[in-house]
Amino acid sequence: MTTDDAPGRPGTEQRREGDRARVSTRTEVRQAIRSELASDAPSDLEHRARREDAGMRPVIELDHVSLAFDEPVLDEVSFVANEGETVVVVGESGTGKSTILKLILRLLVPDKGRVLVDGDDITGLSFEEALKVRQKMGMVFQGAALFDSMTVFENIAYPLREHTDLNEDEIEARVREKLEFVDLEPDKVMQQMPAELSGGMRKRVGIARGMANNPELMLYDEPTSGLDPLTTGTITRLIMKLQRELGVTSIVVSHDIRSAFRMATRVALLYDHHIVFFGTPEEMTGSDNEYIRDFLGGS
Amino acid sequence: MPFDGHRPDDLSTPIRLANALQRLNDWAKGIVLAVQEYFTLAWKAIRFVFARPFYGSDLVQQMDAIGVQSLGIVLLTGFFTGMVLALQSSVQLKTFGATIYIGRLVSASMIRELGPVLAGLMVAGRVGSGIAAQLGSMKVTEQIDALNTLGTDPIKKLVTPRVLAALIMLPVLTIINDLVGIIGGNVIASAYVGLPTSLYWRTVWEQIAAGGFTFRYIPNDFIQGIAKPFVFGGIIAVTACHYGLKTTGGTEGVGQATTRTVVTASILILIIDYFMTQVMLALFSE
Repeated sequence: MTTDDAPGRPGTEQRREGDRARVSTRTEVRQAIRSELASDAPSDLEHRARREDAGMRPVIELDHVSLAFDEPVLDEVSFVANEGETVVVVGESGTGKSTILKLILRLLVPDKGRVLVDGDDITGLSFEEALKVRQKMGMVFQGAALFDSMTVFENIAYPLREHTDLNEDEIEARVREKLEFVDLEPDKVMQQMPAELSGGMRKRVGIARGMANNPELMLYDEPTSGLDPLTTGTITRLIMKLQRELGVTSIVVSHDIRSAFRMATRVALLYDHHIVFFGTPEEMTGSDNEYIRDFLGGS
Repeated sequence: MPFDGHRPDDLSTPIRLANALQRLNDWAKGIVLAVQEYFTLAWKAIRFVFARPFYGSDLVQQMDAIGVQSLGIVLLTGFFTGMVLALQSSVQLKTFGATIYIGRLVSASMIRELGPVLAGLMVAGRVGSGIAAQLGSMKVTEQIDALNTLGTDPIKKLVTPRVLAALIMLPVLTIINDLVGIIGGNVIASAYVGLPTSLYWRTVWEQIAAGGFTFRYIPNDFIQGIAKPFVFGGIIAVTACHYGLKTTGGTEGVGQATTRTVVTASILILIIDYFMTQVMLALFSE
């Protein structure tokens, strides 16, 4: 997939009409993103560079994946996430971004094409085999999807109880460790119910639960949506910390282009069921494709 | 999308007919598919009873939610139904001077029909809606997906304990319902008609004995009265889980799932009650 054949946005005429006011700000926003990229903490850039030449073992591979329900959702989508890499899938709402995560989790099966996890094709697996493959992955849902009948502790302990032989002490130690990793005070939150937590805290507990099993792959569905700018920053840093300190491969689905650029080693832009761009954030800002520029400015 | 040659506004009659047939076909397919899904869910739920890991604490929790917590409404419906049965039958029987048979009428109606059906309907309303709402909310907040992602089969974790709990608890609730109903009849029989309690209970037993026995000691009325709520329990739990897990479209979808559950389960209970009665009567009429 290259940058150059990206189609222009349809209905641009009408949209422009309504967006007239925003057009002037677009350039400013684009500028802001550029400068943010440039002013990124050196550690971030370093880390990103390190990631890029990290091992090239593909962990996730989508190979010409097509999926349609009543209408096409994904059409011939291909990309690769190598070990230790963070691929951020961006695109407008309703372009099938979350579907990609469901395909990787094998909650959905593609109509055509293959999904490979660690080099193994997971499309043909039975339901029980799929449950096993999912244990390699930690998923963070958009609304955190914490089990609201359980305490925070029980939520994080859940995957451990299901899949490990850890005893109660070991489970508690692991839960504390994960809560500390996501900057929550274990003693304070462990016995709380998810309903008592703020949105940002729920998301952090969601991340803690996702990583409880020490998965090699983390999937994030809109990790920063619905959060205030400060919390967005916190969550973004958390995701980066996870890849930096634990070397976890991550796939992030987002429409928040700013935080996407901060975390991504590579960005995949989904448009009209296709991936129209797949490359580094720098390549993306440097692109002169109209849609990409619109997308960067408009978001 | 490529132009396929047919604009919707210049359809000729054959094409309209074909479209109508197509819609009919889709509709029929939808129904067949739903029925298939329903039975697949029921089958999986039952099969998982025998598969590791078994979620025992979930089962106990559900038995409490479905059984123990439904006791109040079941006691109330049972008691008042028994009373009204005694009251109505006393009026009818008085014209024949046969008020001593109040006990027979109350016990026959309660044990065979009203006990199971009313307990079923009340539990469908109370528990069925609760299950559908809970699973529906879990579905729309992605908690079902989360279970799947964490390597747990949601059917095993959520559906099996609920179905099993309903299968166990509804017969228990029905027995309580029957008993309380007959006691309610007793209260009215002695208060309004002046029937001695001992006579009332003797006629109750006469009625049960008149239904015949299986294996010499098990009254056929009891078999009928227990088999029905067992089936109804399954219907309520499977229907609620089916609609709950199929929920889409946010909170509105949860509301729809709840309504559909109560309506479908209630109707199924009434229809299946009829056919079970017919089968039971044929079996036990000898």
